[in-house]
This record gives sequence, structure tokens and C-alpha cells, in this order.
Amino acid sequence: MKIFDPTAAPSPRTVRLAPRPARLEGVRLALVENTKFNSEALLRKLGDRLGRRYGMTVSLVHRKRSPSHEIEEHVLPALQRQADLVISGIGD
Amino acid sequence: MTGSADTPEAGDPAALIEAYFAAGYTDGLPVVPPTEKSIADMLAGARLRGEAILGEIAGRNTLVTAEKAAINAVMAGCRPEYFPVVVAAIRGLCHPDFAYHGPASSTGGSAIVLIVNGPIVGVLGINAGNNLFGQGHRPNATIGRAVRLVMMNAMNTRPGLLDRAALGTPGKYSFCFAENEDGHPWEPLHVTRGFAIHESTITVYASNSLYQVYNQLAATPEPLLLCLADALANLGVPNVKGFNESLVVLAGEHSEVLRGSGWRRRDVQGFLVEHARRHVADLKRAARLPGDVVPADETTWRHVFEAPEDILLVCAGGRAGSWSACLPGWGTKWTRSVTMPIEGPIARGETP
Repeated sequence: MKIFDPTAAPSPRTVRLAPRPARLEGVRLALVENTKFNSEALLRKLGDRLGRRYGMTVSLVHRKRSPSHEIEEHVLPALQRQADLVISGIGD
Repeated sequence: MTGSADTPEAGDPAALIEAYFAAGYTDGLPVVPPTEKSIADMLAGARLRGEAILGEIAGRNTLVTAEKAAINAVMAGCRPEYFPVVVAAIRGLCHPDFAYHGPASSTGGSAIVLIVNGPIVGVLGINAGNNLFGQGHRPNATIGRAVRLVMMNAMNTRPGLLDRAALGTPGKYSFCFAENEDGHPWEPLHVTRGFAIHESTITVYASNSLYQVYNQLAATPEPLLLCLADALANLGVPNVKGFNESLVVLAGEHSEVLRGSGWRRRDVQGFLVEHARRHVADLKRAARLPGDVVPADETTWRHVFEAPEDILLVCAGGRAGSWSACLPGWGTKWTRSVTMPIEGPIARGETP
């Protein structure tokens, strides 16, 4: 008799990370908020601090469909064009 | 067959069951140890090959194959003819509108509620009557259990890892029932969602609680529905933060009150949308909304639901007893219930 394995590991997917900014000063910042309470407030506060500390500018704020959904594919080109750095986070 | 290994205790059923516990493959209850034949029979029940892909959760790099689903269905105790229902449920979990990651992994700890409609209910003997949510019916118990085992084993939704439920619910073991389409006040759930009455479907819905609502005196819709609206808008209900779906299951006596009234489904939904509400002041005092209470909050309503179709009305349960049940949905429109067709001759009512 055998044990049959009912599990499945996640299927591997190669992800290429974007190059990291060489320096933080002056970069264009995009904020991706997930619709939870205080998500946008938290991220904007973070953007303000980074602006004061490094001269970053918030170039785009995107509101996801929900915390459960991935970021929409059609938003990615705008993020690539308009931002050097993206911060995504949650609130509650 | 992939992913199998010889057991050291070959031939000892009890040791084999223990081996599945030791491997971490069970939901805490003993499982039926699969064999080559039982897995093949399960796949044949849905006319599927093992390598068939039932669905994908892209954000979690998760692919569910028919073979893994079949192994879990055998473990759960399903008969092969139940497998088309399990397959349809998995396809529903993988539907983009269901948005699996949230309801599966949230601290909210949702049960996956499975509602079966159509001719397959009679063929398989899925309970739509007495003790609807309780024990005692093999298809109800094992179809729901199979789906949870698939989530745990084949979709990486393990407690403490990608299942972060703070409390969970007993419904996470299994939660499957059928709608009682006989003597229904209106058209059944799947017909409201575009399917024909002769088609079989499963509706997949995420809810982390269930509370029963009692009203033995209401002989007209208004008092009965006021009780339900109040239950749907309590201060702790997750949905107060926004708008989501809720499932209302009307058992026999309450269904009869509505059937005799002439109210349409839309009338009932509209009444609940209008009356499931709290004053903003109540919500602020309970810290369900941020900010200080201002005078206008005392008379400003915040409604729990946005639209009539956000309330799923299902008729099922025993004919006797003045009970119905509210099952609030998880999240705030971060997931939506999905109704999927069940495929194959059995779904058309043919006996296997």
C-alpha cells in the first residue's frame, strides 16, 4: 500500500526584480494603496516624510480594487513610466 | 501516479490512517486512505484525466490538477459521483471574482459555503431539509470536506501559514448544502444567476459566521424581515465598514410566510437593504467608524448593503420551526460569490 501525496507546491515562476535606484534623492514615488482603512493616509504620510528627507515627489497614487486582488495589469505601464519607486502597503 | 511513497506499515489500515496524520495531510479527522483504483474511479466520476488543470490562483502560483483534487476527495470520503460537484466548487474558488487569497487567508477565517442547485441534488441525495447545516448526510459532509482538503493541501492554505484565521469556524471543516427548490416562494438561486432550472450548479460563498434568527409570531413579511435586518446590521458584523454580500437562508415556516404574502424576491431584498442600517453615531461610539460623534451622526443612517442583489436569499432547512439564518459575507466587496455549472450526465439528473 502507498501514501498518495495530496499536496501541490506552488508552481515556480521566475520574477525579475527591477533595478534598485542608485540613490533616493529626487526619485519619483508611486503609492499603491489597498483600500483598507487608513491605507492611503499611512502611505501619504510616508510619502511626505520621504519627500522631506530625500526630496522624493509622489507622482502617482493608485487604489487597488481590493486587498484580495492583485494590482491591475493595465496600471503597470503607468507605474513604469511615471515612477522610479513604488510603495505598496496596507492599513487598518 | 505521482507523489506516492511506500508505507512502512503496508497492509495495516490503522497504521496507514496514522501515516496521513503524521504527514500533515488531514484536517484533524481521519481520512480514507486512497488507492490507485479509488483515485482513478474518482477521476472517472467527472470524466477527467489526472493532469487536467481545474484552476489557477495566479498571485499564489497555485495550479490545481484533477489528480490532486481526486486524491483529496477520496481522503474526504466522497463517492466518485460527487466529484463533478467538487470540481465545480474548485473552479469557483479559482474564479477571479471570488478573489481567493482574501477569504482563504484572512484573519476573518471564512468557511467556504457551498450551495448546490438543480437535478443533481436529488440524484446525489444532498440534504436541503432538516438539520441543514448539521451532521448526518454523506454528500454534504464529504463534498465540503473535500473542498477544504484541496484548499489546505493543493492550494497551500494551511492554518498558521497562508490560512491566518484568528478564530475560524467549524464550517471550515465542511459547509455544503442544497437549496430546497420544492415549494419555493420564488425561482431558485441558480435561476436568478442566469442558469436554467434543469441545470445543476454550485455557488461558492465566503462567510465567517452563522447566526440563527427566531421569530415564531410573524405572519407577514415586515416583522420577520425586521428581525433579519437587525441581525444583519449588528455592531460587530464585518460588513458595517462597507458593502458586501450576505447570505440569508430561510427555513420552511419563514419561507411559507413569504410565499403566502405575494412578496417577490426583489421586494424582500429591497426591504432588507432599506432596514439593515445603523446610525453613524452608534458606529462611531462602537469605534466601527473613525472620528468623534457630531450631532448629525445621531440621525444619519449608514446602510449595510448597497443593492438588492447583495443579499443572497436561499430557501432550505426543515419545514417545522420558526428559524432562518444570516451568514454575513467576508470583506467589503473584496470577494463575490460565484455560481459555477456542474458538468456531466449526473448534473442533468441522470443516475450514475
